[in-house]
Amino acid sequence: MAHLLREKGFNTFVIVGGLTAWRKAGEPLESVPKDDLVKLPTFS
Amino acid sequence: MNDLLSMMARHGYALTFCVLLAEAIGLPFPSAIALVVAGAAVASHTLVGPTVLLTGMTALLLGDISQFWLGRYAGWALLGFLCRLSMNPETCILRSAESFYKRGKTTLLIAKFIPGINTMAAPLAGSMKMPFGQFLRLDFTGAFLYCLTYLLVGYGSRDFLANLLSGFHAAGRALEGVVIVALVVYAVYHIAQAVKYRKYDVVPRVQVQELAARLASADAINVQIADVRSHGYYDRGAERIRGSIRIEPNNLEEEIKSLPKDKDIYLYCT
Repeated sequence: MAHLLREKGFNTFVIVGGLTAWRKAGEPLESVPKDDLVKLPTFS
Repeated sequence: MNDLLSMMARHGYALTFCVLLAEAIGLPFPSAIALVVAGAAVASHTLVGPTVLLTGMTALLLGDISQFWLGRYAGWALLGFLCRLSMNPETCILRSAESFYKRGKTTLLIAKFIPGINTMAAPLAGSMKMPFGQFLRLDFTGAFLYCLTYLLVGYGSRDFLANLLSGFHAAGRALEGVVIVALVVYAVYHIAQAVKYRKYDVVPRVQVQELAARLASADAINVQIADVRSHGYYDRGAERIRGSIRIEPNNLEEEIKSLPKDKDIYLYCT
């Protein structure tokens, strides 16, 4: 995805280790906003 | 063919049950081939058709029901685990979920015929809170269609299978040639993939500490962090890097319209 975005002119970087490394390093996190959670498809 | 049929006569029901159950719980077993062979055994009166059908459906339903409830309680974490076995873990869940978006509940009727989606359909239905009774009805019908189709294929092609197997015995050298060609094609494919993906090395990778330092500086206004997880993001209680935005990998063309081109974009997944 980073490469695709670069092709479209965005200056992208990839964080080594992702969210796991960020959490391990003790860097700040936040909860995923509730508005985003409604995107989860459900049958109920 | 006679060897195969005698083996089917001794262990046919157990083999069919085990192979179908294994595939239903996500293991890479060829259930379609097992059903075709079982169908050929039915044609030669080695196995009894309705019993094989019932055996196959029982195995599939047992596997699917267990996956359904695992999906219900483990959520997208289970889907992520199952997808690690696939060629492209990041698109595995999205492809399966997309099938549900497009076809809705009827996906369960045809899922078993589609490699990749077959294993994911039951846990996806569970994680997407499908009512169990509805799941059971659709999955039962899907399992029935799947088993019946391949049993009929085996039943109708018994003579073809016999010729194919006897041909293998008679043409051992030709088979060796086929294996060698297949190995060469496999190697060439992987070399081509390695060359293809080498271009991805051009994307710079940064350590957490490096990015954190930049965020703590005055240069932070030129930074945008983006969460591109294909799964896990929507789990209840999920967290993300503070200040990051969401880019839905399944909807990239739309998502990039709102991305700032004047900032450096740092992507992360799990």
